[in-house]
Formats: sequence, structure tokens, C-alpha cells
Amino acid sequence: MDKRFVCPRQSVPANGMVQCETAEGLKLLVANSGDNYFAYQAMCPHQEVPLCEGMYDGSVLTCHQHLWQWDIRTGAAMGLAEAPLESFPVEVEGDSLYVVSQSALSVSELFAGISGDTLSAISSLVQKEEREAGSICYDFGDPADDFYVLESGRVEFLIGRDERVSPAGFMLRKGEVFGWAPLVENHPRRIARATCLEQSKLLRIDGRKTLALLAADPASGFIVMRRLASLIARYLAPSGSK
Amino acid sequence: MRVQLNARNRAYQFEAEPGARMLYSGLAAGINLPYECGSGTCGTCKARLVEGEVDDRWPGATGRKYLKQPGEFLMCQCVPVGDCSVEVAGFVYNMDPGACIPEFRAGTIRNPRPLTRDVMSFSVELESPADFDAGQFVAMQVPGVPGYRGYSMVNFERSATSLEFVIKKKPGGGASEWLFGAGADGKAVELFGPLGAATFYPNLGKNILCIAGGSGIAGMMSILSRARQERYFDQFNGHVFFGVRTFRDGFYLAELAELAGEFPDRVRVTIALSDEPVPGEARTAYPSLAFEHGLVHEIAGKAMEGKYQNVRAYLAGPPPAVDASIRMLLLQAKLPTDHIRYDKFS
Repeated sequence: MDKRFVCPRQSVPANGMVQCETAEGLKLLVANSGDNYFAYQAMCPHQEVPLCEGMYDGSVLTCHQHLWQWDIRTGAAMGLAEAPLESFPVEVEGDSLYVVSQSALSVSELFAGISGDTLSAISSLVQKEEREAGSICYDFGDPADDFYVLESGRVEFLIGRDERVSPAGFMLRKGEVFGWAPLVENHPRRIARATCLEQSKLLRIDGRKTLALLAADPASGFIVMRRLASLIARYLAPSGSK
Repeated sequence: MRVQLNARNRAYQFEAEPGARMLYSGLAAGINLPYECGSGTCGTCKARLVEGEVDDRWPGATGRKYLKQPGEFLMCQCVPVGDCSVEVAGFVYNMDPGACIPEFRAGTIRNPRPLTRDVMSFSVELESPADFDAGQFVAMQVPGVPGYRGYSMVNFERSATSLEFVIKKKPGGGASEWLFGAGADGKAVELFGPLGAATFYPNLGKNILCIAGGSGIAGMMSILSRARQERYFDQFNGHVFFGVRTFRDGFYLAELAELAGEFPDRVRVTIALSDEPVPGEARTAYPSLAFEHGLVHEIAGKAMEGKYQNVRAYLAGPPPAVDASIRMLLLQAKLPTDHIRYDKFS
């Protein structure tokens, strides 16, 4: 995505927020915090409620519906929130605010917070794929060489064997990671089928080479492995105390 | 009828009883489907029909305003017609071990009696004993009124054979008019429950703050009852704020006064009167209660300043009052969201 005009600076209240729409129809929540401006998806990732109806105190954004919260500087989920916000880096030029889009890799929760060098090394492994609805990314028993990051679209999973095949969830958010078997030991083959339910854009990344990059940068590797562990755990049990 | 439910993390299959709301069948199977009000107002149980057919039993449900995409429906209002396959956008898990799994129950209305000019209490005698957690509610269907309504239990006991409720009279509110009517006593009703996540367990280990408006005090009474039974206030504080319009609109004041009198150093109960200055008779009648003139969330905000250490807040009442309390707790008190519990009814 190219640079897009969002709104004049003065239409964002100091330490406040406003919903804007670009000429291309992209709806954004634009917030001010001190000298900085931030832009995020306009709707709550939970139930499609406009975030501009929520609460914002200059540092934390809260959706009023179910109190999901995000750090306004990063869009990272806080408290009860189960998903981060998609962020659009803001450029200020004179009195105008512009946004540019980020790659799915840099908004992916799996890689948030790792070193810039390692992230760009992983980026250089990316093969972009555009797939039609119905296209199968991988099938039962396929060798598990690459993992995927969703850029756009929707991917659904099936697990099981023969007639006893059942749905095993779906991915629909930019930056979500799937097919992570090559990042875990002893998972050389696919145990699921991943199908694009609609036209989808994917980033396909070599697992073995990614592991080598993470091994060379253990601090980043630690972050990614911890995130991967919580991602896997999330499929099994709810997080946090009640 | 089989319902196949695809969630973000996995799929579930459950048997839907004929005529039963899809949400209730799934919850009764021990699947913690997304919901809050369970009665058509909050929109949280929104799902998308992938295959099959559902019958909407209450097309007038206000929660339908949250339906935006084609095929979306409220699981709390729709009944499967044959096998179907649906999708919810969130992560879904099985209920925790030890959770009170909700089920359908038959009961009989007993002892309806007025508490104030527009609030009454009534009991439902159950055919078989039920367990619920303090702060939970049931969905109740009364004859001739579409859909279920949520009512919080006032009492707390294990293996309860009678559930106690309060209800505010709403002009034109079908269920409340029926319950206020002369013929309700002794009538059969159908319940589904227990429901709700604004629960209190004695192992919480925090001071508790209750902010309730009007009939929202019901669930707080259950929480306070459990806390008292388990001697919770030997170790922790209870801050209770109860908003009513005038002194004459107050109810359960004797019960709250008794609790405050029993734990004078631990439990403080403040009655906020929104529509009148505190009459002299209030303090004479209930010396162990505090009375203030103002909106309950503002009174609570002022009184709680500097006292938010280790606090879990419970909120209930009319939706605007709950929203005002949430804003106060988040923006003014900076209480973390996971320390605030309420069930959304709007």
C-alpha cells in the first residue's frame, strides 16, 4: 500500500482519538499521545464495534463493549484483549497525517519485539503467495518445510484421518501464523489440511532457515519460542486466571 | 439434532434438544460458548450459519442490532431446525472443571411480594436441587412472553431448592408485568441456568467492591451472602454502593445494615440516593449504613479514592449506570480490566 492521506493533524484531539476514512475507503482509528500519532484498524477485533466509541486516556485504549485494551504506542493486547490491533504507521507532513501499511510479518504476534536485523533476515526468506478460494496450502502427510503468515483472506484447517476428519479452527487476521510444524522438533509431516476459504495472500517462510536465524540470535529466538508455545497453548485452554 | 460449531481454535459437536435455543444446548453440553446476557440483549453470542437452518424465536430481540453480516444470528434466540453447522469468530473452550454446568429446570413461582413501589421479590421453587455460584443468574421464560429474561439469584446456598429474585416493574415490560400481576403465584416457569461470569469465590483473596443500581443489587446480595457464610470479611474488606432514587425506593436495607453492623471495621455499605437529599429518617432507621445524595458511580468514585489496592469490583444494574461505573473505574481509578466483573445486558 502506498502512502495515504488520513486527516489534518488538528482533527485529532490532544490525547484523544477520532475515526477517519481514507479516500480509498480504509477506516482507521487515529489517536494522539503527546507528540505522537497512531493509526489502527477502526473496529474492535472482537465484535466489530467502533473503537472510537471506547475509552482512551492518552496511553491505553479500551473498547467499551468487553473492556479489551491495547497499548496505544504499539497496538499490543493488554488485560482481557485476545488480539492485538492492526497498526498503520503514521507519517506527519506539515499539518497532514498519512499512513503506510506494514508487512504481515512485522505485525505478526510471533515476531513482535525481536531484533530488527533478525526480522529483516526472516523477511528476506519470505515467498509471497496469492491463492484462490479452495486452494490447499498443504495436506495430510505433506512434508512440513515451510510455515505461513496470513497477509489477508481466510484459511481453515481440518484434522483427523480418513472419514474421521473434523474442522480444527480457522485463521482470519493479518499476521496470524499457521503451519508452524517446521519450527517444532519431530513434526516432519503435516497433520492437518489447510485450505484457503477465500482468495488469500500468504507469506511462506522456510522453517529450517528461520530456526538457523533464531539460533544465531538467541534473545530473539527465545521471544519467538515463548510466543509459539503460548500460541499452541491457546488452542488447548483459555489463558489467565478467572 | 447435531450442531457442529467451528470456533477459531477447534470444532465442537453437541446434541441440540428439540425446541431448545442453540446457546443453551451448547452450554448444557459443557461447552463454554460466548455469551453474556443469554437473553437477547448483548449480542455476544453472535454466530454465523454455515449449513442448515435455524428458527429465530424472538426476532424482536434488541441484541440483533449487533448482527452485521449475512447469515449471522443470536445463538440465545435461535433454535436449530435439523442438523446444522455454525461458526463463531472467537476461541471456545470446555467449561472449567468445577463449573456449575447450566441446564433446563422446571420451577414454580412462590411468594411474590412488593419490596418498594416498583420492585418486588419472588422465589422459584425448583423440582430438583441446583448449584450455582454467587453472582450468577438464570434465564427465565414466563407464559406468553417471547424469549427469556435474565434474573440474578439473591440467595446463595449449595443444592438450593429455592431461588430468590428481585424484579423492577417496567411499564410495557411483558415479563415484569406478568410477574407483578395477581396470577403469577404458583405458576410454572421454565429456567435455564446458572449463567454469568461475574462470580465470587472465597479464594479470591481481594477486597470486594460492589456498585449496584436498583435491582442490580440482587447478585451482590448473593455475593455478600457467600462472603459472610465463609467468613470472608474476617480478612478482607467489602465496599458496597447501592444506588436508588429515593430513600423510599431502597430495599434490602435491613439485610445490608445487619451485615455492616456485624463487620463494622470491614464492611461499609453506602446507599446513594440520586433524586433527593438524604432524609433525616434514613440515618435514624439504619445507623450502620451510610447515605449520600448523588449518582452511585460518583459516590463510589469519591469514597473509594486511594482504596483500590487489591480490589475486585462487581457491577450490576441498569446498563447506563454500569457503563458509568466502568468508565469511572477505568479512567479515574485506573483499575485493571480483569479486576472488574459484570455481565452485559445491553
